[in-house]
Amino acid sequence: MHGPLPDAHSVILRSHERAATSYHRSMADEEAPASKSAFNGRDLRKIYVTGETEVQALRGVDLDIAVGEVLVLLGPSGSGKSTLLNIIGGLDRATSGTLWYRDTELTALDDADLTRFRRANIGFIFQFYNLIPSLTARENVQLVTDIAADPMPAEEALERVGLAARMDHFPAQLSGGEQQRVAVARAIAKRPGVLLCDEPTGALDSGTGVRVLETLARANTELGTTLILITHNAGIAAMADRVFHFLDGRIASIVVNETRIAAAEIKW
Amino acid sequence: MVTSLDRKLARDLWRMRGQAFAIALVIAAAMSTFVMSLGVHRSLIETRDAYYQRNHFADVFASMTRAPRSIVDRVRELDGVARAEGRIEQYATLEMPGRTEAIRAVINSVGDGGKSDLNQLVILRGRGPGIDESGEVVVDKAFADANGIVPGDEIDAVIYGNRDRLKIVGIGLAPDYIWAIAPGELVPDESRFGILWMGQKALEAATNRTQAITSIAVVLDRGAVESEVIRRLDALVEPYGGTGAYGRDDHPSNAFLDNELMQLEAMTRVIPPIFLLVSTFLVYIVLGRLIRTERQEIGLIKAFGYSSYAIGWHYLKFALAVAAIGIALGSLLGWWMGREMTTLYGDYYRFPFLDYRVSAPVFVTGGALAAGSAALGAMGGVRTAVRLNPAVAMSPPQPPVYRVGMVERVSRRAGFTSVGHMIVRHIARWPGRSAVTTFGVALSLALLFSTVQFIDSSRIMLNDFFFRAQQQDLTVSFIEARNEDVIYELAALPGVIAVEATRTVPVRLVHGPRSERAAIEGAARDATLTARIDADGRAVPLPVSGVMLSRLLAERLDVRAGDEVEIELLGGRRTKTLVPVTSTIDELVGTRAYAENAVVERMARDGAVVGAAQLKIDPAHRDDIIAHLNEMPIVLGVTERVAAMRLFEAMIDRNIITMIGFYVAFASAIAVGVVYNSARILFSERAHELATLRVLGYHKTEVATVLLGELALLVVLALPVGCFLGYWMAQLMTAMFSSDLFRLPFAPSRATYGFAAVVILIAALLTAAVVIRRVTGLDMVRVLKSHE
Ligand SMILES: Nc1ncnc2c1ncn2[C@@H]1O[C@H](COP(=O)(O)OP(=O)(O)OP(=O)(O)O)[C@@H](O)[C@H]1O
Ligand SMILES: [Mg+2]
Repeated sequence: MHGPLPDAHSVILRSHERAATSYHRSMADEEAPASKSAFNGRDLRKIYVTGETEVQALRGVDLDIAVGEVLVLLGPSGSGKSTLLNIIGGLDRATSGTLWYRDTELTALDDADLTRFRRANIGFIFQFYNLIPSLTARENVQLVTDIAADPMPAEEALERVGLAARMDHFPAQLSGGEQQRVAVARAIAKRPGVLLCDEPTGALDSGTGVRVLETLARANTELGTTLILITHNAGIAAMADRVFHFLDGRIASIVVNETRIAAAEIKW
Repeated sequence: MVTSLDRKLARDLWRMRGQAFAIALVIAAAMSTFVMSLGVHRSLIETRDAYYQRNHFADVFASMTRAPRSIVDRVRELDGVARAEGRIEQYATLEMPGRTEAIRAVINSVGDGGKSDLNQLVILRGRGPGIDESGEVVVDKAFADANGIVPGDEIDAVIYGNRDRLKIVGIGLAPDYIWAIAPGELVPDESRFGILWMGQKALEAATNRTQAITSIAVVLDRGAVESEVIRRLDALVEPYGGTGAYGRDDHPSNAFLDNELMQLEAMTRVIPPIFLLVSTFLVYIVLGRLIRTERQEIGLIKAFGYSSYAIGWHYLKFALAVAAIGIALGSLLGWWMGREMTTLYGDYYRFPFLDYRVSAPVFVTGGALAAGSAALGAMGGVRTAVRLNPAVAMSPPQPPVYRVGMVERVSRRAGFTSVGHMIVRHIARWPGRSAVTTFGVALSLALLFSTVQFIDSSRIMLNDFFFRAQQQDLTVSFIEARNEDVIYELAALPGVIAVEATRTVPVRLVHGPRSERAAIEGAARDATLTARIDADGRAVPLPVSGVMLSRLLAERLDVRAGDEVEIELLGGRRTKTLVPVTSTIDELVGTRAYAENAVVERMARDGAVVGAAQLKIDPAHRDDIIAHLNEMPIVLGVTERVAAMRLFEAMIDRNIITMIGFYVAFASAIAVGVVYNSARILFSERAHELATLRVLGYHKTEVATVLLGELALLVVLALPVGCFLGYWMAQLMTAMFSSDLFRLPFAPSRATYGFAAVVILIAALLTAAVVIRRVTGLDMVRVLKSHE
């Protein structure tokens, strides 16, 4: 079975898009079309019921995200960005609608399969780094390499984010930006198909934030990882292939960047 | 007025109801064991004292072969004697239809209608015997109940060699027979040993002792020295075959009851403190955690202008509220358990009334101790809350700092995964709380072990007494010591495989200024049916010559092997012989002396070496042999080893069931309380980390191992610690339950360690499972939204 055909308006062909490579893993056997969708979602809705009140966090979202794409989600607080990201990453379930990751229908998976999906394909980065305080930088990364199928060595992941010298430090001994880079190393160590970042620079100053963004961009270019990033910082949108603007649980508009700027050039 | 802080208190309690209840349970265990054991102890003491006073239980007792009644007047004139009374005590054999085993009774003489001055009889049903009415008797309630005897029944008895028909006119009890055991028996058996009371003149006639007595009871003057009176009394009755006077401490009924009371008191001193200690620990860790998580709230409340005192009091109230629940629960439970236990005692001891009352001070003391323990546990947390600087409190707490420590090097070498590191470092990060968890679980194991190992003690006693020390099937005791002819006579009976003579004689041993009353047990050196087992379970042979003294007796006399003691025979012919002490034996029970039959005979000089005959028989001939023995006029009684053994086993089994049920429940309460609280704290501390692991793609079961792994490590660590503690506590309790005259063997079996460990492991596992369910329900998204 195949996912629904991508909408015409969101199909982006990108010059540097690669054919499927070994580090793209999915639940199903790989087919190799020239251009592939990572995610296809139709009419995704999320309703939170707390007691008497209902909150419609997503009110029917359609999306098609290509493999290797860099996507930024912008929008006012409470517009549903995190909700969508969590559903995409298999942390949460949509109330209705369908969502496919490549050949797998995520909306049909049970809890254990969703966990397996996360383990194989998704790297998360949050505003608060969510490192395990009792583990050193290296061990935090090893948390992932312990269970991944084809990870890079934890040391290599830390080198990629420029922390080779700090591997045996505990989170409490690292600055906020360094902690966030450990989180990035932890996310990329398993060579994930997708990196999901919820305000990764929200707690950082601009210089530090830019260094984190650079490591994310490198993962995208060097590993071909699809990158989806939530931010309140419109400046960051410049590094994206496309920008989704959220409003009130819907994608209000999509902006396609004709030219992307490098993460290093971003300022705020 | 309900303040907002009180409202917060109520909400906190409700929110943490599981943890609060788990602590309350441990406090309830402390309170209930305290109320129960103290309540029963006090109730028994008060009942006993009231009974003794109302019925004039005597202070000093003396028995003799036969003395003229007029001697009582001379006893009354002795210095220190306030009142004295003489009576006849006569052993008899009862013949009850349908019963093949020997049933024995002791008949006491009483005045008209059952009246007497001392050791007064209480008539529960019917009436007392007429002073001159031959055959009229009152029987004790326990014997009557066990055999279905009611007033109006008649029983045949062989008294002093004559067959008499006894007419039961009443059912009664007396303070000198609260507990009774047939001579030579190890286990009381109310169905085979009865206490009877008969009119004085009637018993005089039946035993051919007109105007004579066999025992004297004495009440002392206020301030009289008991040992002095005993000395004077002994001197007075000596010519009449006195076997040595003794005080209440040596009175079998009173001494046994005292021993029981001592054990109850020991329980009060050991068990509730364990529970209290655990509850202190639990309050300490739970409140400590609560205050750590509420740092910012505390800062805020202080910033609003609440005094540090008000905050401290707020958290102290949390601990006290939990204690109050435990106290209320424990009071009810303890009161109820005490009533049940008192009823059990009522069945075992022969009291005419049993007042179960727990006085207010017991509840108050228990409650104060429980509240105090909880408050003590709260102190650490309260001090933190009081000292907290509002400005500091408002800033987010520093992330816990982990270091690479010693544990680290071990775990690295062991090639731990990251999850393994998480477990080990977390334990090392909170050493105090980890220690509390391990120590708490260890204490629960220790408690269970140290109480259940008493079953091992009982089994060893059973084995030593019934399988090793005694291998005869029947013990035949005679009215008077016989010569050896009786051995040949018994050996000739069909079905008798072996016969051996033993003889026990009451003596006074004198060494310098010291003197002790004891019995010498004589047996043949080559005897195979009887043996002497020492405290270490070794069989000790009889010395070829001289006497062997029990260690305690030797200590009291201050003699060593090689010394000589003067041995004075009591009762019958009074001889004095200087005998060398050849050896000593360390025994668990009593003060006894042992000698070869020939040595005993040399002291007695009566040519009669057979006090009792030990028989090994062919079971097929048992009924015939017993019937024949009961027909022999010289036979005082026949004891069957198997019957006594079964009785003892039944007693152990009964104890096992109640004890195991009771202590499994209580020890589990500790384990559950400790593990549940540790697991909850662990979970709340690590919820964030666990959610992170889930996000990273760890399955629920894998995440649960982080929590379970830490708990399991602490619980597994608790097992050896608990066994060690338990061994020590069991030794302490064995010592507390033992007196000079009665020691319990201490040799816990491996099965007991295993049993205690398995019970505690199961309790811990089930408790952990409850908390693990929370891991399954963990909401990753919500947890990650909050910053730590
Ligand atoms: N667990 C929940 N229960 C109830 N309502 C929720 C829950 N999670 C999110 N919501 C609601 O859903 C809506 C969308 O939330 P979401 O977190 O996706 O917003 P967001 O765009 O990420 O906002 P922000 O930029 O502030 O992070 C909000 O109105 C929020 O209140
Ligand atoms: Mg958000």
